[in-house]
Amino acid sequence: MSFWAPLALAGTTAALAALPVVPALYELRKRNDAAPLPTSRHDGKVTNFADALRAKLEPLRPKLEQCRRNCEVSRVGLEAMNVLLVGCEGFDFDPSQMQGIAAVMCCQDVTVPAGKVLEADFCVDATLELGEGTVIRSALAAGNITLGKRSAVTRWLHSNGTVYLREWSSVYGRLSAAESIYLEPGCSFERVHAPVILTSTGAGPVSGGSVSALSPETTAEVNAPSGKDQMLYSHPRIRVEGNFSLPASEIVNANVVATGEARFARGSCFFGNVKSYRDTIVEEDARVHGSIVCGGAVHLGRGCFVAGPLMVEGDVVMDPGSSVGAPHALTTLSSQKMKIAAGCRLHGTVWPRANGIVES
Amino acid sequence: MLLDLFRATLLLICIYTARHYWFTLNRLFGQQRHPYVDVETADWPAVTVLIAAHNEEAVVADILKALLEVDYPAEKLAIVPVNDRSTDRTREIIDEFVERYPRIEPFHRVGGKPGKAAALKDAMERVNTEVVLIFDADYIPGRALIRNLVSPFFDPEIGAVMGRVVPLNVGKKLLTRLLDLERSGGYQVDQQARMNMHMVPQYGGTVAGVRKSALDEIGGWNENALAEDTDLTYRLLLAGWKTAYENRAECYEEVPERWPVRVRQIMRWAKGHNQAMISYLIKTARCGSLSWLERIDGVLLLGVYLMGPVLLWGWLLAVVLFYTGVEIGGGLTVLALGVFTALGNFAAFFEIAAAVRLDGSRQRIRLLPLTLFGFTVSLISVSRAAWQQLQDSLFGSAELVWHKTERSRTAPVLKDSPLPVLEEVR
Repeated sequence: MSFWAPLALAGTTAALAALPVVPALYELRKRNDAAPLPTSRHDGKVTNFADALRAKLEPLRPKLEQCRRNCEVSRVGLEAMNVLLVGCEGFDFDPSQMQGIAAVMCCQDVTVPAGKVLEADFCVDATLELGEGTVIRSALAAGNITLGKRSAVTRWLHSNGTVYLREWSSVYGRLSAAESIYLEPGCSFERVHAPVILTSTGAGPVSGGSVSALSPETTAEVNAPSGKDQMLYSHPRIRVEGNFSLPASEIVNANVVATGEARFARGSCFFGNVKSYRDTIVEEDARVHGSIVCGGAVHLGRGCFVAGPLMVEGDVVMDPGSSVGAPHALTTLSSQKMKIAAGCRLHGTVWPRANGIVES
Repeated sequence: MLLDLFRATLLLICIYTARHYWFTLNRLFGQQRHPYVDVETADWPAVTVLIAAHNEEAVVADILKALLEVDYPAEKLAIVPVNDRSTDRTREIIDEFVERYPRIEPFHRVGGKPGKAAALKDAMERVNTEVVLIFDADYIPGRALIRNLVSPFFDPEIGAVMGRVVPLNVGKKLLTRLLDLERSGGYQVDQQARMNMHMVPQYGGTVAGVRKSALDEIGGWNENALAEDTDLTYRLLLAGWKTAYENRAECYEEVPERWPVRVRQIMRWAKGHNQAMISYLIKTARCGSLSWLERIDGVLLLGVYLMGPVLLWGWLLAVVLFYTGVEIGGGLTVLALGVFTALGNFAAFFEIAAAVRLDGSRQRIRLLPLTLFGFTVSLISVSRAAWQQLQDSLFGSAELVWHKTERSRTAPVLKDSPLPVLEEVR
């Protein structure tokens, strides 16, 4: 046997053994991916996209003012995107003028004619109205926003006033308003936030009018406990192996964990937080002054009230007249899918992880 | 006899191998549970944040700055730095902050039993909120972290909550890079998989929260526990309270940069964990109010630091059996041995690789072969810790001693921003 044979074997074996370590040593030396992992900077502010658009377009405000004085429409460039400045009323968003436009900035009331499909972000200083069947990318308005029937917003929508979604319209992404949001039957949504969110029948006076005038039927939250009582720690914790049921018209102060279903019968009143491993049913006119955590689905019956938050791993169905949260204690309702009947009232954040729809 | 021991060892190793794969596959392909993450708007409860600080002059300013910037109603957030008998400038730095920000309520502890659990126990006497969050002084919370950690407490079954720890000083040394990978595996895969499958996520003692009424119910902090976090997890579990893991509640920490510091740290964890195992293994296995999955996971979690010496023992036995010419025999043993050789050796590394992929980082996966080195150091350290504990129990020594992990940071990294200036810590 040659003298070199064992050396060659040893060398080859060492080289093969070292092979997987070569990329490691390279990375160790070069440090291409040695920064700390980025942690979440999400601050939970629903208006982040709207604020970012406003800040981005702010340098164009003097030019927009100039357009308003001259009552003209102007096309300008900003950070490699084309922005249309609309300084006059009655602009019809002609396709030839909208070619290549990424954002539209308007200083007066805007109405987008029916049937238009515009891949642009809107920043409007007054009110914005989308005609029937219109599609836009996103919009921010200082005034109210109205989406016509079967219209859609593909990214986000924010109003400093009120948002009205007419029948069968859709907002994919964030939908928020500083005051209130009205959703008509057939509307679909993903993440909604407003101090007041109402689902209406579509027959009532949608444009204008006050919140209370539109929702006289839901007053359950009036007697909701004040904020500091929401988590109700002082109540005893009860663990129920199996189903938990609160009989009709009973009043109970407790925190309950049920390994089966939880059911609050008609007219019952529950002060505390409840968790059910399976479904939770809140029957007609029952009231839950606390949170609901549910491993299954939740059904909120007609006229019932839940203070929230509701953290539901399954789906949620809300019957007419049911309400969640209160104007002085905004809350969160999150679930997989959500089906809300007309005549419901919610306060705070509504977040179906898959999709939400107003029953038609 | 030796053969039976070998078979038992092999079985244990196979069980832990299967556990690694189960967790990893769940994270890659299973249904993910984040039941509390969507709570954005709520009537938030009052919260006390306790910052455990013992000689933390290099780091305490960072966490105080970060906590002053968090997105949580200021009137509902009490910030309490727990200065535990510090002999450096910690007290001075805290007092400077208190002067500028009177909402910080310091607790300067000048005597009493040493150790974090004892300091927290004393601090709890001043707490009058139901939710208490605990941070070590070298952590840097992000703006939304407090809300992320508080939201699980709307669930009446939750007694404690644990966030995710992310190393800040990753790029410093080989050790920090390996610990970065190890932390990814531990949190991104292990903890979240347990959360997904309704098992036993572990309360980790920092970037964590506890419900005061639950803590009172189980008798408060156990100041004799070397790993007060593991101890608390099991006492809560046995009392019917659950621990929630919030993978999105991320917080930067400083990991050890020197091997001796790392060895001391892991030995302390191992001893504390083994101490908890002795106290709670039988109780967990027999606890009728727990599901079968919780019982199995709880028992396996308690035994995790014992697997180091078991593995060494298995290797030794294999060598002895080989040279004594004992027939291993039995199809099942051979199959188990084969499966373990083919797959089991890689289970922990597969877990880390999956975690790195889930984290979305691309290049650091190349360091995976080097984790074998970190694994070997840990194996020897935890075995040494177990041996020392065995000696102590046999020859009656020694009260358990708590070693504080040495900090490498020499100055604050936060400027005006609430988040770290990352370039400076690379």
